[in-house]
Amino acid sequence: MSIPMELYLPIAGNSVNIAAVFGLGGAVGLLSGIFGVGGGFLMTPLLIMMGIPPTVAAASDSNQIVGASTSGTLAHLRLGNVDVKMGLLLLIGGVLGGTVGVEIIKVLRAMGNADFLINVTYVLMLGLVGGYMFIESLQSMRKAKAPAKNEPEKHVKSSAFARFAASLPWQMEFKRSGVRMSPLLPLFLGGLVGVLSAIMGVGGGFIMVPVMVYLLRMPMHVVVGTSLFQILFTCINVTVMQSISNHTVDFVLALILLVGSSLGAQVGAKIGKKLHGDQLKILLASLVLVVMFKILYELIARPDVLLAYVGGH
Amino acid sequence: MKRAVFLILTLLMCLPAASRAAGIDFTAEPAGIEIGTLYKGTSIQVEGRVPEGTQVVLRFTGAPEDLRMKEKGKAMGLLWMNMNTLHFGNVPKVCLIDASAPLKDLGLDGARLGLTGLADAVTVEPATADKASLLPELVTLKEKEGLFRQSSGGVKLGEKRDGLQAFSATLAVPSRLSPGSYSVEVFALRDGTIQAQAAKTVDARLVGAPALLADLAFNHGAWYGILASIIAILGGLAIGLVFQSKGAH
Repeated sequence: MSIPMELYLPIAGNSVNIAAVFGLGGAVGLLSGIFGVGGGFLMTPLLIMMGIPPTVAAASDSNQIVGASTSGTLAHLRLGNVDVKMGLLLLIGGVLGGTVGVEIIKVLRAMGNADFLINVTYVLMLGLVGGYMFIESLQSMRKAKAPAKNEPEKHVKSSAFARFAASLPWQMEFKRSGVRMSPLLPLFLGGLVGVLSAIMGVGGGFIMVPVMVYLLRMPMHVVVGTSLFQILFTCINVTVMQSISNHTVDFVLALILLVGSSLGAQVGAKIGKKLHGDQLKILLASLVLVVMFKILYELIARPDVLLAYVGGH
Repeated sequence: MKRAVFLILTLLMCLPAASRAAGIDFTAEPAGIEIGTLYKGTSIQVEGRVPEGTQVVLRFTGAPEDLRMKEKGKAMGLLWMNMNTLHFGNVPKVCLIDASAPLKDLGLDGARLGLTGLADAVTVEPATADKASLLPELVTLKEKEGLFRQSSGGVKLGEKRDGLQAFSATLAVPSRLSPGSYSVEVFALRDGTIQAQAAKTVDARLVGAPALLADLAFNHGAWYGILASIIAILGGLAIGLVFQSKGAH
């Protein structure tokens, strides 16, 4: 074939196969479109395997997520799956929480062995979230099978959390999500996710999605759209900040990934629409658990090389 | 006074002759590497002559750099974690070694020219770090990245004439190459010692689109970040709109 397939990336300092990067983008974009998660947990390690330095892989992935989540948000917006009001509240909370999280991580690092704490938190969070979602959606799928009803009425338990949420001031309607609550709740929960994702150094989609499903009681399809809407802004922030302080964003790499992932995200959104909410949840839960086991394995198995590059931040 | 002038003149006359006798005459083509959009690694053709009866070691090394790394260790005797921060100094970005015979057969100097010998020049901080176990790890990491390589047999020895022997080799330069100054070094060894050595500089520089992008990214970071975000958004929107028009049936 005469079409050149290799392209040199000046920021990554290496050349890559265009088709391989495009395919990788497409596969991860598909997952992103279905579940409303950024997909950084998959993309970054695969890019490193292709010879991209770790810091460049993570930062460039954020850049491509900007595009992929734009495309995904647009697709979900058309399907009526984005609760803009809720998304903005979670975003404001997330930004504030992220700032607090960065300070916490500085203190942890000063105390020493912060990495240990981060990794253990990561495994525990993924294990808890993935395990809970998996069991819950499995039970819900079984229940749905028993009665002949198509859409069994969801019965909101009057838990202590629900009573606390109802007691908060300025209760308002969130039409898209079909819930009524105080704006303080998404602000606070967004902040909490922001703190955790800053500590763990991840986008936060994994934690945000279950928070929206179980604590904000939003319908799964709206959760996915709203999560993508929020990720869009988070990743713009990361792209600009990384470009300024670490020069690790490889825009060409991001662009190739983006074309693949945007196409994947569109297909993903359509697949997601065809799946039942519980099916979506159980698939996401499985994905979360797979990632958890991968991290756990890396913690237990002896690494090939006992040295690792330190990121520029 | 006359004797002193005579001595100096004799020495001056002898100098070039001595360097020619012990020296190596070689060429490295191309003399510079241009890293353009379609760069995917290149090869350097090295040809020349060494003193007869010697073996040749060829090295392509990049400018030394300092690296900040984490040492992995077991936390609480169970989990592998990034532990101590280490500073490696004087680590070449790239080090590709080839020879006309296995380095282990070329005596003490032969071994010194190999990757293990190269690691001896590397410094490690803090001083309490176990250099003996860390340096092989560093070499393994660089080998995995394709930036360090040691082989033998790639340098071919040719015809002998006038006390000199021809040699030639093709050095495969990896695609993972940063711009900078690199060096092609040729060593002639006999009986475990270096008889002669010579070096030539090969400059690698970015050209075309990679040069423009690197300039924007490193010198105008904020604009680069904003531009990267805007283009990503526009790209995402464009693809979204294409799907919208296709989906409207």
